Amino acid sequence: MKTTNTTGGIGSLNRRSFLKASGASALAATIVPGLMTGTANAAYSGTLDMLAWDFQPDTIKSLVGEWTAAGNPAVNVAVIPNLGYTPALQTRLRGGDKIDLYYNFAYNSQKFINEGWAKTLNGLPGVNDMIADMFESARGRHVNAAGDIISAPYFSAVHMLHYNEKYLADAGLAVPTNLKEIYDASKALSTTTPAPYVAYWVKEFCEEYLHTYLLNEGITAFDTAGQPVFADDPKTVGVFEWWQTMYQEGLAPKSLLTDDPGKLSNEMAQGNAAFYVLHHYFLTSIRSLEGPQSANVRTAPAGPTTLQIGEVLQMGQSDSEDERAAAWDLMKYYGWKNTDGKFKVFNQWAKAAGLAAPYAGFFTDPEVIASFPDYYDLAMLSDTFATKSNVVPARTLPWYPDFQAKVGDIVHALLLGQATPGKTVEDLTAAVKGAHGGRTL
Amino acid sequence: MMLLAVLLAVPTVLTAVYSLHDVPASGSSFGPFVGIENYTIIFSSPVFWRSVQVTLTFSIGFVVLSTLIGLAMAMLLNQRFIGRGLARALLIIPWATPWLVIGILWKWFADGSVGGLNAVLLMLGLSDTYHPFLSDPNTALPITVIAAVWRQASFAGILLLAGLQSLPEELYEAAQLDGANWWQRFTNITLPWLKPVLITVTVFNVIYAFLQFDVVFAMTQGGPGDTTQVLSVLIYRQLFVNTNIGLGSALAVILGVVALVGGLMIVKMFYRREAL
Repeated sequence: MKTTNTTGGIGSLNRRSFLKASGASALAATIVPGLMTGTANAAYSGTLDMLAWDFQPDTIKSLVGEWTAAGNPAVNVAVIPNLGYTPALQTRLRGGDKIDLYYNFAYNSQKFINEGWAKTLNGLPGVNDMIADMFESARGRHVNAAGDIISAPYFSAVHMLHYNEKYLADAGLAVPTNLKEIYDASKALSTTTPAPYVAYWVKEFCEEYLHTYLLNEGITAFDTAGQPVFADDPKTVGVFEWWQTMYQEGLAPKSLLTDDPGKLSNEMAQGNAAFYVLHHYFLTSIRSLEGPQSANVRTAPAGPTTLQIGEVLQMGQSDSEDERAAAWDLMKYYGWKNTDGKFKVFNQWAKAAGLAAPYAGFFTDPEVIASFPDYYDLAMLSDTFATKSNVVPARTLPWYPDFQAKVGDIVHALLLGQATPGKTVEDLTAAVKGAHGGRTL
Repeated sequence: MMLLAVLLAVPTVLTAVYSLHDVPASGSSFGPFVGIENYTIIFSSPVFWRSVQVTLTFSIGFVVLSTLIGLAMAMLLNQRFIGRGLARALLIIPWATPWLVIGILWKWFADGSVGGLNAVLLMLGLSDTYHPFLSDPNTALPITVIAAVWRQASFAGILLLAGLQSLPEELYEAAQLDGANWWQRFTNITLPWLKPVLITVTVFNVIYAFLQFDVVFAMTQGGPGDTTQVLSVLIYRQLFVNTNIGLGSALAVILGVVALVGGLMIVKMFYRREAL
């Protein structure tokens, strides 16, 4: 029985019962948006500190400035580069810096709670409604196994297959729905497009693809205790065989192991690639490049399941209850809705780059719909969030960053032909066990 | 003295002490004392030894090329030719560029699809296709070495040029009168004159080689696989991804000792030759 409180209504809950309760309260939350978003916090007169990474820093400051202008406390926003964000954040926190609210990578969220760098959101006014407002599929990222609410969303996305509609039509091919069909279609297209399949297979991102491909084939990677059940599924080896074959046969460019996603978007825009698997919002970058093939690129419906990702907002250590309350008001505004019940901040990110929010209401909000270009199939995207995506809750467990750091080495060895698919399963399993065990290289 | 203690001694001692503890990520205490357990974990790990191999290969290439190219550039820029002032000014540009920017520049230059390096090789007829230098395990490490050398050689060149400019012209003139050829003048006048500067440059190069992180991280993140995973990348991963402060500190101590020993060996080697 992890949490007990009288104000927030979470009480003594495990995650299952909490999520059920959240679902039941969703309707009420939708009816009375004013209740869940809170109002300007007049009790705190100081300045809040917020740390973010540098995606559109002017927009961040403008959004936060609007919140302050509505009668809320001033916010000192510090923006640092995404590359090296975690080291910088950890160094500041370890050094005793007080940050009321900060961006964080979801895989760090539970660890930061455990280290005392972030506080749970349990019991804060409206927090249950915020969770209830989310897609059920997304809640596992923000609510841990004990029922504690560890973060709010910063943005969310799903891994999707982007494809060149014209290339497939010209070759008489249907849109592939699983890994084998992707291989077959890539093979067929390779006569005219030598390496038709691109994906962001750099070391740091291999872990996302591990889950994306496993989920595509209906394989669950981890059980609720974080044990590597993928190792017991006979289909797992098949996924690694496919992965290795795509690279070894040259159906994916050899340069993928170090290519940037921007370059890959350009490969699609220029027509040098026909398939691109990455977050749904990369469709924006492909289209906005206005290359000769940009307009022909579409997003395919997800297979049985795909990976849902998202980065988070966490609450740091505030000096007083008033300050914490003010920080929570800011967090609600930034990671949910404004006091008018509008997805003010998320809508801005949607306009800027096609980023999404893990809320069903986000996809039906007329202002949000108007923010997405016509080439987005929002109904399909919403359905993917709702029923065809998985956040893999183990990805927020405290040992997970250790495992994640090793996946790149192991998958690259597979792709380079230095390890067999069977050995890759063994190495990944050993990496999970090592991460569970603590200190390993 | 106090400032030195704060800036150098305290962090060094603290890192050494951390390396003997299982330090909590929050840094709120030293955590439990584990003796040499962190070192045992490191020395028994194949990941560490593979990283040592990569670091040594990188370092040897970096030190040799930086020093030799720096020396060549210094000698060239010490000659009289039109545009020498501009050429000397250009020498400063790589050195004035941050390591991280060098890494990003070279990542694009060596790109397997749109990189300038491939274009140059094609134009020169040295290649008939674009090569993914950074994704190929055979070329990734050499390319990161070249990128790092591009900056460090200019630093070496600047220092060595300063040394050459203090060399009296009369020594060359006398040697020429005695019939000494270019090689004899180089080995008997230039090199001995530059020896103090060369020692400094080489020691700097050794230290920069072992501590190199930015260029490698920006270009390959240590990949593909573990091909370019130098020790500093491993330290970064332990300290900031896994937050194993104790283990990361032990790796930092090992790297510090290796860099120190490497630097001292260079000094000793030069002075032993001088004694002979």
